[in-house]
Amino acid sequence: MSRRHPHWLRAIVAVFVTAVFFLPLYLVLVNVFKSGDTIVMDPAGLPVPPTLDNIRQVLTRPDHLFWYGLVNSVEVTAVSVTILTVLSAMCGHYVARNTGLGPRIMMIIMLAGLMIPPAVILTPITDVLRATGLMTSVAGLVLVNVGYYVPFGVFVFAGFVKTIPIEIEEAAALDGASQLRVFWQCVFPLLRPASASVMIFLGVWVWNDFLNPLIILGPAEGTTVTVGIYRAIGEHQQDFGAVFALMFLATLPILLLYLVFQKHFVKGLTGGASKG
Amino acid sequence: MAVTGASSRVETARARASRDVRPSRYRVRTRLGSFGVFGAPALALYACFVLLPVAVTVYHSLTNHNPYHPPTQWVGLRNYRLLAADADFHKVLTNTVLITAIVTVAANALGLAVAVLLDRRGWLYNTLRGVFFTPVVLSSVVVSVIWQAILTDDGLLNSALRQLGVDHPPGWLSDPDVALYTLAWIIVWQMLGFCVVVFLAGLQGVPQELHEAAAIDGAGPVQRFRRVAWPLLAPALTINTVMLLISGFKVYDQVQVITNGGPGNGTTSTIAFEVIQTGLVGNRIGYASAVATVMLVVVAVVSTAALRLLQRREVTA
Amino acid sequence: MDRRGFLALGGAGLAAALSGCTAGGKQGSSSASGTELTFLTFETPNLDAAYWDAAIARASAKVAGVTIKKLVAPTVERTGYVKQLDASGQLPDIMIAVNPNGFAQAGKFVAWTDEDLAAFVSPHSNPIDGKIYQLPYNTQPTPLVYYNKVAFASAGITTPPQTYAQLLDACAKLKAKGINPFVVGGGGKDTWADMYPLIACVATDVYKSKPTWLADRAAGKTTFSDPLFVKAVGKVADLAKAGYIDPAGLSRSYADTEQAFRDRKGAMYPMGSWFAASADAKKLDFEVGVFAWPADDGSVVVPAYTGGGMSVSTKAPNVDLAKKWALAFMLDQANLDGSVKADGSIIAIKGYQPPADMGPVYKATVAAYQQAVGANGVVNAFSVEGGDGSLLPGLADKAAIGVQDLITGKKDAAQYTAFLDAEWAKAKQ
Repeated sequence: MSRRHPHWLRAIVAVFVTAVFFLPLYLVLVNVFKSGDTIVMDPAGLPVPPTLDNIRQVLTRPDHLFWYGLVNSVEVTAVSVTILTVLSAMCGHYVARNTGLGPRIMMIIMLAGLMIPPAVILTPITDVLRATGLMTSVAGLVLVNVGYYVPFGVFVFAGFVKTIPIEIEEAAALDGASQLRVFWQCVFPLLRPASASVMIFLGVWVWNDFLNPLIILGPAEGTTVTVGIYRAIGEHQQDFGAVFALMFLATLPILLLYLVFQKHFVKGLTGGASKG
Repeated sequence: MAVTGASSRVETARARASRDVRPSRYRVRTRLGSFGVFGAPALALYACFVLLPVAVTVYHSLTNHNPYHPPTQWVGLRNYRLLAADADFHKVLTNTVLITAIVTVAANALGLAVAVLLDRRGWLYNTLRGVFFTPVVLSSVVVSVIWQAILTDDGLLNSALRQLGVDHPPGWLSDPDVALYTLAWIIVWQMLGFCVVVFLAGLQGVPQELHEAAAIDGAGPVQRFRRVAWPLLAPALTINTVMLLISGFKVYDQVQVITNGGPGNGTTSTIAFEVIQTGLVGNRIGYASAVATVMLVVVAVVSTAALRLLQRREVTA
Repeated sequence: MDRRGFLALGGAGLAAALSGCTAGGKQGSSSASGTELTFLTFETPNLDAAYWDAAIARASAKVAGVTIKKLVAPTVERTGYVKQLDASGQLPDIMIAVNPNGFAQAGKFVAWTDEDLAAFVSPHSNPIDGKIYQLPYNTQPTPLVYYNKVAFASAGITTPPQTYAQLLDACAKLKAKGINPFVVGGGGKDTWADMYPLIACVATDVYKSKPTWLADRAAGKTTFSDPLFVKAVGKVADLAKAGYIDPAGLSRSYADTEQAFRDRKGAMYPMGSWFAASADAKKLDFEVGVFAWPADDGSVVVPAYTGGGMSVSTKAPNVDLAKKWALAFMLDQANLDGSVKADGSIIAIKGYQPPADMGPVYKATVAAYQQAVGANGVVNAFSVEGGDGSLLPGLADKAAIGVQDLITGKKDAAQYTAFLDAEWAKAKQ
């Protein structure tokens, strides 16, 4: 079995299977670059000649739906994910390095939260936000995102920290560095793969969130690109070109995030398992 | 916890030894002092925005709360007694468990098959892996809209089938006996890439020497996979299963966009969907909260059981 | 990513978050002074963003001291969204076409006075405790039967059916020609779109003889198992059983359903009057006619809903101003014309005349409705009605999901009505 020279049969089967899997995405991609009439007549054909009208239409809407949504989505996602990565790395480190009953119970309680659909607890969440004066603010939405998604981050980081020899920290601590300094200077840089996977997954989840921004930022402020997709679906029910173009544009940034981090992120998820 | 189990097993012997043998001052100090700095901020936010709202939900489940029908009264366990007798709720519970089971099994199985197929290096296989991962980053609403266009009775799939000579292709979304499986398939499609990528990481972590050693022993490809790779894939299986359980139990968007719980009463309705329908459309927050609370219990039991089972396999493997 | 890059990214985002700004939030509120009021709309292919902006500007020009901030519901399902906003303390000041049931009883909507309603043709439709909370500005016949004249001719049907027996006969002739008789939708998120045959049958068989039947049901004086109601349901079940309703519709969203009728997937399309606007705006490649769903005895019955206008929140910063603006919006000639053109509304405001250039399908629709008015045959539209004695919250959705079972044959009429009674009991728990 040679790993360097792909067998041609395997390559053909692999390409064929991937192509079948890719078909639904192909339908979106080609129709972004077709006019409405062509989509109805020939939904599966290649866009010859391709048109950028659908994309242009989305980018130049008079109410700037896409651009405002993009700015808001980037802002909310970047801030939420940054805070999430730092807080969950620290908490994951704590859970991994303290093997008592307390941290273990904390971990279990946090994991249970991952399976709660956010819509179910949205109303009590808004009660908390109103009581603290954080309703209709970006800060409020960020804090909710952090609270809701932090278990996933802790879960990934805790697993990863355990694969890092503790001597590094001990040495630094014995040199007299403070806890935070030890963590920030010695441990956090070693957690890069875990950070990558946390950032990708939480980035995807926060980016694709629909209901929370809409309600927590409020109806006047809460336009994110994902909300834009919902509105486009309603407004252009039959105009698949416009809907697909918005979907395509709304997905690009998050796809880029994946491409940037993909080398690291799998290692982060599987911890030491992939090191062999 | 899956990752915890995954990595603790693979932890280097050196690290483990150092922890067991040498009591360190640093560790003593962190255990005493660092919760406030390291653990508390995350836990506090989690408590504010998840635990507290969940507590409110559980409290509501013991009342007849209806925001448009005051006053709210304490009704004890009445909502739960009604639930126990509600045939619709049983249907919804069955649907959710069935979808979750199908998604967990099918995405794992297909994911492993594709991972084995793509387990080669080079630009071609990297690209194919990227293609499989793309649906994972899409919002489930986007995925739903795409599949709906494909699967309606006069959609692209059935038009193609008719051209191939199939006179009566299945009503993927209009046949009440088929729709639930269609829905499960759409979720499998979206999650497949995740499983592929994680299994691939596991496969590519299998040391080449082990394969070679097994080959020298005269093992064929199938045997080599079973004896060498499969045991080492246990952590990957755990991660995938946890992710699939999470996404299976939460299913809401796909139901809302693609079937709205139909065709017909309760055909594809899931617990999350039922909670929103009863609470938001029917205004019956008390009853909906009881449904949500039952869901929490079911989810907690299932995921704990699954973790235990999978991690035991990791340890013994 | 190294630590420095990570910090830079986070820092930039953090700065933006702390400044608390969101893009697009301040839109439309910067220029004029005065009271700012929020106004919730929704967007459809016909009522797009530009339509609403122009309409808002016209109303604001008539009322001094108001600045309107437009909010857009993310989907056409507005009422659920308004409930979520209300639950989080963000009820809009002014809303259009939101079902006031629930909000009104809880004191969240302002009741319109007789003085406010002076210009409206039916100022007392769908009252809640005797009061009106949504301006009754238009009437929507729901449904009329739109039909493909070419398909009818090819099946040898010369005149539209006038009795139910003739309708069945027409179905048989179409079917014999290989033409599917009815296009009925109800797939995807648009389950409601499957209700129209049932609404029509309930109108002809129940509401015509007993206009207050549903109020009696609400008061517990009867149940859905009333033979009258069972018979109406039985008609739909029989149509499905005879193969006159294509179950493919259960996979079609509302938009797909209209497209299916356009694509000649069936000869008859029972739908609300708004289809007229669509049919005139985007011509079909066959001639479209319209008739009222026939009753057994041939009397003309048309179910209709009058309402659809503005509601005002009791928490608006200036309720009087909000009411004034809402009325100005509703009574503006250009806004009404726009609504007629975009939505096929039959305006219920005294003295209003639709634009002279309205298309043939709209004119035929109005004629069919006026015929029913003349014959005293306008009744409520089952499941669409609001106000006192209407369906309990959530029941309309259950009724629609149950119709899917009628169409697939999973439920017969008796099972369907028993199901509705059971759901009613649950909703009352």
